[in-house]
Amino acid sequence: MASASTSGRPELLKVSGLAKSYGPVRVLHDVSLAAPARSIVGLVGENGAGKSTLFNIITGLTKPDGGSMFYRGRPFAPQSYGEAFAHGVSRVFQEQSLILNVPVFENMVLSQERRYTRWGQFVDRRAMIRVAEKIVEEAGLDVDVRRNAGAYDFSRRQALEIARACLAPKHLMGIEDPLVLLDEPTSALDKKDETAFIDLLTRMKRHAAFIFVSHRLTEIREISDTIVVMKDGRLSGSLLPEAADEKTLHSLMVGRDRAQDYYQTNRQRDVAGGRTVCTIRNLSDAEFSDVSFELGAGEVLGIGGLLDSGKSALGKAIAGVQPPRSGTMALKDRAPQRPRIGELVREGVGYVPAERLVEGIVPAFSLAVNLSLPSSDRYSPNGIWRLGKEKAAALDAIRQFGIRSGTPAIPLRELSGGNQQKVVLARWLQRDLSLLILDNPTRGVDSGAKEEIYRHIRGLTTMGVGIVLITDELTELIGLSNRILIMQRGLIVAEIAAPPDAKPTEHDLIPHMLPSAA
Amino acid sequence: MRAAAFLDRGTWLPVGVFLSLIVIFSIASPAFFTWRNFAATTGEAATLLIASLGATFVILMGSIDLSVGAVVLLVGTTAVAGLKMFPSAHLGLLVLPFGALLGALLGAFNGAISVLGRVPSFVVTLGSLSVFTGTALSILAGATIMFDLPIFDTLSLRQTVPHLPNIALWAVLLWLIAIFVGARTRFGRFVMLIGGGEQVARTAGIPVDRYKIYAFTVSGMTAGLAGIFAMSRLGAVGPSLGSDLLLNTLGAIVVGGTSLAGGGGGVQRTFIGVAIITVLSNGLNLVGVGPYWQLVIKGFVVIGAVLVSQDRMRGLIIK
Repeated sequence: MASASTSGRPELLKVSGLAKSYGPVRVLHDVSLAAPARSIVGLVGENGAGKSTLFNIITGLTKPDGGSMFYRGRPFAPQSYGEAFAHGVSRVFQEQSLILNVPVFENMVLSQERRYTRWGQFVDRRAMIRVAEKIVEEAGLDVDVRRNAGAYDFSRRQALEIARACLAPKHLMGIEDPLVLLDEPTSALDKKDETAFIDLLTRMKRHAAFIFVSHRLTEIREISDTIVVMKDGRLSGSLLPEAADEKTLHSLMVGRDRAQDYYQTNRQRDVAGGRTVCTIRNLSDAEFSDVSFELGAGEVLGIGGLLDSGKSALGKAIAGVQPPRSGTMALKDRAPQRPRIGELVREGVGYVPAERLVEGIVPAFSLAVNLSLPSSDRYSPNGIWRLGKEKAAALDAIRQFGIRSGTPAIPLRELSGGNQQKVVLARWLQRDLSLLILDNPTRGVDSGAKEEIYRHIRGLTTMGVGIVLITDELTELIGLSNRILIMQRGLIVAEIAAPPDAKPTEHDLIPHMLPSAA
Repeated sequence: MRAAAFLDRGTWLPVGVFLSLIVIFSIASPAFFTWRNFAATTGEAATLLIASLGATFVILMGSIDLSVGAVVLLVGTTAVAGLKMFPSAHLGLLVLPFGALLGALLGAFNGAISVLGRVPSFVVTLGSLSVFTGTALSILAGATIMFDLPIFDTLSLRQTVPHLPNIALWAVLLWLIAIFVGARTRFGRFVMLIGGGEQVARTAGIPVDRYKIYAFTVSGMTAGLAGIFAMSRLGAVGPSLGSDLLLNTLGAIVVGGTSLAGGGGGVQRTFIGVAIITVLSNGLNLVGVGPYWQLVIKGFVVIGAVLVSQDRMRGLIIK
């Protein structure tokens, strides 16, 4: 049943016909791919293409609705991550999972400690250290396993995680040739660390097979033996790295040639000398300090940085969702004050949070209710709720935003992530806004909805609304922003202009985001 | 939000249970299906319904109010003490707004401590349950205070509609008002939103803290009204007034189909819950089940109702 792959090596993992839906939303359709032993499969696709779901299924975190998996030639249907791991399948996440205040060697044998205990209680430290040293040495890493993991920097810790994933199965469980899933491991690495990472992976290929997700297409082409492209839950292509030029990959990922104007840069407004919509002075809180900036009418101010940069916390503070410890914000010509969401909403500020399901919507409630959420001043000026007006506004938004299968009464959980996000955005667009704060507005959103969201953001700027755009996606940050602030550990470390005719590149931004550049 | 849920089991199950109970008890006891018993049960149910109205909003909001029975007792006690102390003042029906006001204050006290002190509402209301009960018992000094005012008979016991004591009419009126408040007002909408997603509501700028205090205030207010109605129906206030309301209000609300996790159900459903709990007590009495075994059975019914509605809940129930 197992067919030989292009590289001629035996297949370690073969999945065929995988399908998965969440309610009416199909996230995987008939996905098949194979990972030969001792090879690297590069997996690319836009956010929301289904890569994470695929990984979740392979590692037992999600059950597929249909399809089959074979691992080492046998049917494979792990019920949990533990079970997948016991077979030598592991996953290295973008966010690291080493425990920082524990020595490296204990991290190396994590979840397998019972192999090093006597009578179920006493830990054999020396045996643990021996095996950890063997792993580190074989991976060619210069690390003292007795030191705490926290003593090493991000890229070194990541190398340790990869070494653990590739070699721990062999040394701890006697499993040769494990399968390692890498989930955007390089998105937070600079050029130097990226090279080191690629070297490590090339070395580790002798011990393991990889499926490697990355948004960096150059790197994918350099390192992969085959490249698989996903789009909207389907496999849209499988090609050899030689054949995979950036343009081809792109059209497979997006389904058409990327429009020059995906981010509608031609609609980017020249805001020099215009009105100021908001002035932020010396905002400080636990996760950021002394942040000051001004935002012009119609300007998109991008804020970038790593996960621990404090950019999301800053967004919450500006919106007044978590009022900052100190500092002020002044809207237009109003007096500076400590931001508080309730008052700010009345004065024309909107906030789209990053965690849609926790902060953005009540999934069990109807579209109309989710849409009118911040607008009691419109729907209930005297305490009585105007259901008719609310319904009419919902019908309007459904039409205006093209919310697929939307009705005013439909519970929002029955819509796709993209359509849910359109509701969150529409919620603010029905108000008279002067400032909109967006935190990762296109996270988990398909490419169609993404484009629609960009169109509305541009539309807002034309009306003179100031936009603060906080995002992890660098292309989006660059494409949409007039100006980009980069944060690092709570401080603004760089301000980069991004005019339509001279956009910075990702490589211009990344060095500012990393601690080593500080 | 709920039109589509018309035929789900959260709606028909309580109705089915109610009808089954009627049939079972009618067969088991000849005294059950009589006008006399109808008048007695509806009077009983009316107090429970009034006391449960505000508490439903609190549960809908994802919090809980365990002090309803204690508010009933304290308000009833204070009212009767006032009537005794100023017999010449002809307070009469004035005790009704007084009861509502005192109850509202006690509820606001619960809400303010829970919200401003960030204390889970079950802890606060468990504490105030003890505080209110203790205060009332020390006023009563363990005795039952009787009184006899015709105006109260008219309020509660007279049957403007044959076989139906007036108190039941008042209860239904208040229930209808509460339904309107729940479905058509900003208060009702915010309470539902807080229950469905407190973080979402905060992030959208809804004054969550203020509305939480409002909901506890409303709960105290309906409990206070229930205290006055209970007092007027019984013509006396004794130490045991309201003692069964802790379990009965929670039971009625949950059995009616309001989710303990918040955000699901509504005050319209509490009616059928009240009917079930009351018929259950009354029927068990009539077939001769002792009061202790009734406690056991009612406890299981409440737990069972939570279990049945569990699949509609998200995550843990944290009060």
